[in-house]
Amino acid sequence: MPPDSLEDIESQLGADWPHLRAARQLSKDKLLQISEAVEHFDSEDTSIVVMGSLARAEFTDGSDIDWYLLIDGWADKAHRDVLRNVGEAIRPFSSKPVGREGTFGDMVFSHSLIHDIGGDVDTNLNTTRRLLLLLESRAVGRPDAWRRVVRGVLDRYIAEDRGLWRGSGPKLPHFLVNDLSRLWRTMAVDFAYKLNRRGGQGAALRNIKLRMSRKLIYISGLLACYDCHLGFTQAERSARYSSSSLKGVVVEFLEERFAKPPLDVVAGVLLRYPHLYNAARQLLESYDEFVGILADDEKRQHMERLAEDQMDTDPIFQRARQLSHAFRDALTEVFFDQQSGLGDLTKGGIF
Amino acid sequence: MRPVGFSTGALALADFRSALRMLDGKPVDAVELSALRQAELLPLLSAVPSLPLQRFSHVSIHLPSQFDPGWEAGIERHLHPVLERGWPLVLHPDAISDFGLWRELGAAVCIENMDKRKPLGRSVRELAPIFDRLPEATFCFDIGHARQYDPTMNEAWLLLRAFGPRLAQLHVSEVNTRSRHDVLSFTSILAFQSVAEMVPEDVPLIVESPVGEAMIEREISRVREALPLGFKPLPPPPCNWHDRSALAV
Repeated sequence: MPPDSLEDIESQLGADWPHLRAARQLSKDKLLQISEAVEHFDSEDTSIVVMGSLARAEFTDGSDIDWYLLIDGWADKAHRDVLRNVGEAIRPFSSKPVGREGTFGDMVFSHSLIHDIGGDVDTNLNTTRRLLLLLESRAVGRPDAWRRVVRGVLDRYIAEDRGLWRGSGPKLPHFLVNDLSRLWRTMAVDFAYKLNRRGGQGAALRNIKLRMSRKLIYISGLLACYDCHLGFTQAERSARYSSSSLKGVVVEFLEERFAKPPLDVVAGVLLRYPHLYNAARQLLESYDEFVGILADDEKRQHMERLAEDQMDTDPIFQRARQLSHAFRDALTEVFFDQQSGLGDLTKGGIF
Repeated sequence: MRPVGFSTGALALADFRSALRMLDGKPVDAVELSALRQAELLPLLSAVPSLPLQRFSHVSIHLPSQFDPGWEAGIERHLHPVLERGWPLVLHPDAISDFGLWRELGAAVCIENMDKRKPLGRSVRELAPIFDRLPEATFCFDIGHARQYDPTMNEAWLLLRAFGPRLAQLHVSEVNTRSRHDVLSFTSILAFQSVAEMVPEDVPLIVESPVGEAMIEREISRVREALPLGFKPLPPPPCNWHDRSALAV
């Protein structure tokens, strides 16, 4: 395998990202502990799925644990008992309870995730759960149901993408790209919604997370999709996309991409383009420092408590904001780069 | 026409003689003699010379799903009489304790992909190391298991792509959420049709749907609808599908 991980690009660039390394190690340890704590609560039809920083391998001591019980099988009233037991088993590992929006800490059923893509039935909650399942989820314990549902969702995006199989343009899964863009805009709009509903409470931290970790999962999803085109030569693309009966190959390819932490997806693409190494360094250095702020209890709590009207003058928030600008500028350079072909896909895929 | 037949276990559990009688006069040209429990195998093997099997162009034996280790050690001695007949011996990968014993049996061993309950043998990733250790073994593709493991049928496609050249027979039935074999439903027929063109037309279809005698012909008709003729071999991949090392700008 060619080098394609965060560790590979750190080594390639001679860089040092201690906060990312520490967060990876802590995530690994925490996942192991949680797996042991929830052992026997899962089955071939149910997976305990974690999302957020833990799934992204960016866990810090102040992180909460977002999780749900994914059910892909018969309805069983005992699932409620499983949910309660898993909640109790996970609680000691989390710094605070699961979020207020009902996205986590509940039962989630495969049917709505797979069937309800688009239309009135595809609620904000369903869209968010479905796409976070692809972008930042891991099963702790038995992964059977999680794997099936990830594949079921990807299969819909790929099998029903007419342009992918019949179009003459870039081999980009537009159905999925469009839904990723919808999620990104939904997260941005929901930031304003929460600002309105919560009167500015926690706005500083949410703002920085939107600019950094939320944006990261969006762009990692885009890059995974871009790789469907850029990852292959013209001759290979002609063979891969010659018939929709080959959809299994594309689904499997994306499964492998989405099984990695988002930073690894980004690293895998950037490693291929030496002329983008400066942008890669800026992107990942800023992200490392952002994770460092989250890992610093004092700074994190300060940001959590920071009043909205103090954000413009607060030095910690302003530093985090500068990081988000560096992150954004690096992304702009990467996503509009012509030499790699990324720029053409951004123009064709997003607009 | 694809060769089609039934598993005796689907028709009459361990009572293979009754199952064969149920097939009398039915449009079948293949049969699988089923001994899913260890205690059922020796009576079946000793009965083989006296069974009315002449009408079948394809006969296979489904071996027990579990063996006592001591019993497994003497397996070649037990199977010797049927080895000479060249029949596929269908084996669950999780029934194997000693790979060396089974490797000795070469192409007679026919490895079946498993349903979602099993810890191994369900996917290409899980079966590849099994075939690495049994390089001559053939493949019994249980299309119902593959669909239960992955309802999108992508894993079925991947299994056929990876192990198609080893394909000796199919097991065909619906496998429900409780991992029980069932008659084919509309949805399973649609799912099976999506990979039908990857199954060569001479590969026998062994039906595992549990039906009474009166339903045998109807189920065969459903199986033929699910797996119509029209084999299209896949072209060889132009490269390693995942090799991106040559793409750096």
